[in-house]
Amino acid sequence: MIGGLFIYNHKGEVLISRVYRDDIGRNAVDAFRVNVIHARQQVRSPVTNIARTSFFHVKRSNIWLAAVTKQNVNAAMVFEFLYKMCDVMAAYFGKISEENIKNNFVLIYELLDEILDFGYPQNSETGALKTFITQQGIKSQTKEEQSQITSQVTGQIGWRREGIKYRRNELFLDVLESVNLLMSPQAPGQVLSAHVSGRVVMKSYLSGMPECKFGMNDKIVIEKQGKGTADETSKSGKQSIAIDDCTFHQCVRLSKFDSERSISFIPPDGEFELMRYRTTKDIILPFRVIPLVREVGRTKLEVKVVIKSNFKPSLLAQKIEVRIPTPLNTSGVQVICMKGKAKYKASENAIVWKIKRMAGMKESQISAEIELLPTNDKKKWARPPISMNFEVPFAPSGLKVRYLKVFEPKLNYSDHDVIKWVRYIGRSGIYETRC
Amino acid sequence: MPYLGSEDVVKELKKALCNPHIQADRLRYRNVIQRVIRHMTQGLDMSGVFMEMVKASATVDIVQKKLVYLYMCTYAPLKPDLALLAINTLCKDCSDPNPMVRGLALRSMCSLRMPGVQEYIQQPILNGLRDKASYVRRVAVLGCAKMHNLHGDAEVDGALVNELYSLLRDQDPIVVVNCLRSLEEILKQEGGVVINKPIAHHLLNRMSKLDQWGQAEVLNFLLRYQPRSEEELFDILNLLDSFLKSSSPGVVMGATKLFLILAKKFPHVQTDVLVRVKGPLLAACSSESRELCFVALCHVRQILHSLPGHFSSHYKKFFCSYSEPHYIKLQKVEVLCELVNDENVQQVLEELRGYCTDVSADFSQAAIFAIGGIARTYTDQCVQILTELLGLRQEHITTVVVQTFRDLVWLCPQCTEAVCQALPGCEENIQDSEGKQALIWLLGVHGERIPNAPYVLEDFVDNVKSETFPAVKMELLTALLRLFLSRPAECQDMLGRLLHYCIEEEKDMAVRDRGLFYYRLLLVGIDEVRRILCSPKSDPSLGLLEDPAERPVNSWASDFNTLVPVYGKARWATISKYQGAKRHGPELSNTTSFATSGSLIPEENKERIQELPDSGSLMLIPNLQLTAEYFEKTWLSLKVAHQHVLPWQGTVHPDTLQMALQVVNIQTIAMSRAGAQPWKAYLSAQDDTGCLFLTELLVEPENSEIQISVKQTEARMETLNSFISVLETVIGTIGDIKS
Repeated sequence: MIGGLFIYNHKGEVLISRVYRDDIGRNAVDAFRVNVIHARQQVRSPVTNIARTSFFHVKRSNIWLAAVTKQNVNAAMVFEFLYKMCDVMAAYFGKISEENIKNNFVLIYELLDEILDFGYPQNSETGALKTFITQQGIKSQTKEEQSQITSQVTGQIGWRREGIKYRRNELFLDVLESVNLLMSPQAPGQVLSAHVSGRVVMKSYLSGMPECKFGMNDKIVIEKQGKGTADETSKSGKQSIAIDDCTFHQCVRLSKFDSERSISFIPPDGEFELMRYRTTKDIILPFRVIPLVREVGRTKLEVKVVIKSNFKPSLLAQKIEVRIPTPLNTSGVQVICMKGKAKYKASENAIVWKIKRMAGMKESQISAEIELLPTNDKKKWARPPISMNFEVPFAPSGLKVRYLKVFEPKLNYSDHDVIKWVRYIGRSGIYETRC
Repeated sequence: MPYLGSEDVVKELKKALCNPHIQADRLRYRNVIQRVIRHMTQGLDMSGVFMEMVKASATVDIVQKKLVYLYMCTYAPLKPDLALLAINTLCKDCSDPNPMVRGLALRSMCSLRMPGVQEYIQQPILNGLRDKASYVRRVAVLGCAKMHNLHGDAEVDGALVNELYSLLRDQDPIVVVNCLRSLEEILKQEGGVVINKPIAHHLLNRMSKLDQWGQAEVLNFLLRYQPRSEEELFDILNLLDSFLKSSSPGVVMGATKLFLILAKKFPHVQTDVLVRVKGPLLAACSSESRELCFVALCHVRQILHSLPGHFSSHYKKFFCSYSEPHYIKLQKVEVLCELVNDENVQQVLEELRGYCTDVSADFSQAAIFAIGGIARTYTDQCVQILTELLGLRQEHITTVVVQTFRDLVWLCPQCTEAVCQALPGCEENIQDSEGKQALIWLLGVHGERIPNAPYVLEDFVDNVKSETFPAVKMELLTALLRLFLSRPAECQDMLGRLLHYCIEEEKDMAVRDRGLFYYRLLLVGIDEVRRILCSPKSDPSLGLLEDPAERPVNSWASDFNTLVPVYGKARWATISKYQGAKRHGPELSNTTSFATSGSLIPEENKERIQELPDSGSLMLIPNLQLTAEYFEKTWLSLKVAHQHVLPWQGTVHPDTLQMALQVVNIQTIAMSRAGAQPWKAYLSAQDDTGCLFLTELLVEPENSEIQISVKQTEARMETLNSFISVLETVIGTIGDIKS
């Protein structure tokens, strides 16, 4: 149970404070500010105990959200709740920033009132919440809307209301992946760890209560189906992927997944996260970074970094950024790069090399000469890893959407009438190469 | 909440609220109300406009209503008489045709924390419980709990409780979960809501309809259900199987805990469950949500305590990334230290070595301590790495390495030689108190193997005047005296100088006292000095005592998915100690498990040991002073309250036993020499109520048993039992080590 919820800006000013239980006083607001936000050292733990009160905090850009309780609660649950709170707020007013929170503070109080009662989480689905929140204020409700609330709150399916109608039945599938890599510096470049965490996000604008079935190139499914035709297995076998673990939105029938590995569900209206998964095998690493650092005497470093793109030549990677750390005592840097723009940013102690676009199977190189100030500091430079950011139009895990079928028995539209869009975006998570 | 200029603001807002022009314009009116709420949020005292705000509640504008109700809930306790004026509007809203308005009014009314409101809310709540809109029922059900909270210790309304129990069958899932929550609070005194077979099965069937919060809550409530038969138990486990793979980590953890607790008699099922949640836990550990990742890592550590090999093959998942936050890195290092085995030790050490040179001094020190921890099993490799680190000549690294060496030499004497070779030269790079103490201790105890030990100590003696830490001076005195015993010729002169300084010039009383003590000790004779100062140089058996082999899953299952793994058991014990035992009654009733952890606390928590044993019902006071005569008199005057026999093998090592007993605040009055037959020991302890426990331990010759007789000054069964269990744990641990 949550005793209170506070939102602060980066200075520690309270933007929102809502107390649900008697045992949390106003001084709790100040205690968190003094002990955590204004603390000198870096944050030691996302759970802080001050005077036997536990503070769970989450940071979004420069906004702090803190949930407070005196009970022995489930830490994971409280954090999930805070994430949910962020999601709900983002669904209403976009980015969570100080300005947005100040502008929407009435709305936030309204949300806090509905999501938590007496410190217990209540309904938190954005779609379902929209019925209770008077976003634009006064709105005389029609009879129909009123009956909607009743059906919404008594309905069997909590995540979808009845009687949704669209003139154009449309759905969007986004496969969003973030690929994480940690690579050792040795010459052949050994992968220390790599994993992809992905999400399938669906935006559905479908009428009625549609029954959907989602298929992808999951190894287990393909092997199961391939039993009959051995030929097909050998063909598609290469392209199937092994998913380490996956979790689904509440709407997916898990029993069916366990028995048949088929993913069937009635989707919520609007945007939701259908599935979350993780893979560690056969990851397509979109970029390889090959660093070469040479110390020339005590006052000079020579750095050469080659990046190689490793995907189909017809595809284009975007927003590529390579960050090459430099020592603290750098006095000057000369950079030569074949492509893009590179700049030494003294405040960040790094050379930032940006390339707008890069096709697959290409190679690019940057070389830099770093002048160092002689210091008597004996501390050796720790050589932080070279990190990379990018976006590619494919899924690094190799996941492919095979089909998404829609059945709505009661209304007269069929699977063919639904317009479907599929998009793959692979982004870099923590993509580091040690040097 | 005084705030600069708040009076003017209140005055101005009051004026605006009363202004009929503003009242007529809805938007402007609402704007003013918003400003009131904004100031309230910032901590200004806005109770001055209460009257005007109450008036504003009579409106059809729902937003305005919500704002005003929020305001009233905050200030009602300050202005109870004025708040009563609002009750009328609220009551009227409770019968509004719109369910949303009804729910809002009821919720706000129940949240008014002021005396005398009960009589007004009782009827609306009862109506709300039977409302046809589930939105209102949800609010009404929690309203019952709020009402009970207001009453304080008033007696429980039986009819209401029955009504709530029947609402557990409600159609709406949130109503069901709220019923459980509400009943739990109302029946707190009686031990909370009762989960019998029909209720449990009903809840199990509804599980899939609930949202994640509801699922987590119900899983928690199901913990107290005890299946009648094995068959039923496995049916339940089968039914809940899918929740181990839920998309919400909180539900996964809740389900895991339920499995662990329900299957407490089936260790293979427990192991199986832990294998199955490995995937979800690992996923959480590498998730982008850092806070969840942190919580998951804490739980991974918990599991590793019982199953050290559980995550060994996945060790690469726990390698740190440069950009991860500090708290995750520290947890990962701890995990790496615990999952190390023969296959991965090379890679793990390689990785940890990399962290030792991290820019963050904190993190690099944590990595060095972790290597020290691994060194208890893989001594040679680790000592080599640590020695190489000394070569970096970095202050923050050297001091930690030397501290690690100190602990290591004590626990793994075989590495003494290597450590002694590495030490020369370190003194140049140590500035802080802890590091100096460790270095001086090492030089004192193992000085005969380090050629330049006297010269290093001489430097310290020469600079003793400018030394700021008294603890370093104390350590220096002891070390120099020890070294004097093994290398008298080189040390005599500077020992004289140091003693002279400490006795004549030192301001710190403790240092002076120690100086005087050693001086007088030297006067008595060198043999006496030797007898007192030459304690054993290392004791590997203590390592086993501090580092328990395997803890059974059941010892922490009840703490899983709570704050205990996040804070650590010792810290949680101090936090919860003050919160009163009644709230945590069901969790802490198991005194034995707590006492067990008392004697087996890992090293880093040593300083908190004193506070541990008292988290149960028994609290032994530390530093009990009892003379032998008094003990004898009391012993003879009492009857034996309890006597029983434990298995025991081999001879007794009095020192080890005495030290272990000391840890749980049991003092030794007298003890036979090691190897004496029959072997006897007399122990005493006193709890916080003043009750004395006197104990005799007896080992008969050629008998593989130890006989324990306990006498008690006040006859109380439950404290006696907890005392005996503490004692048994200690003896059991020592016995295990010996056999």
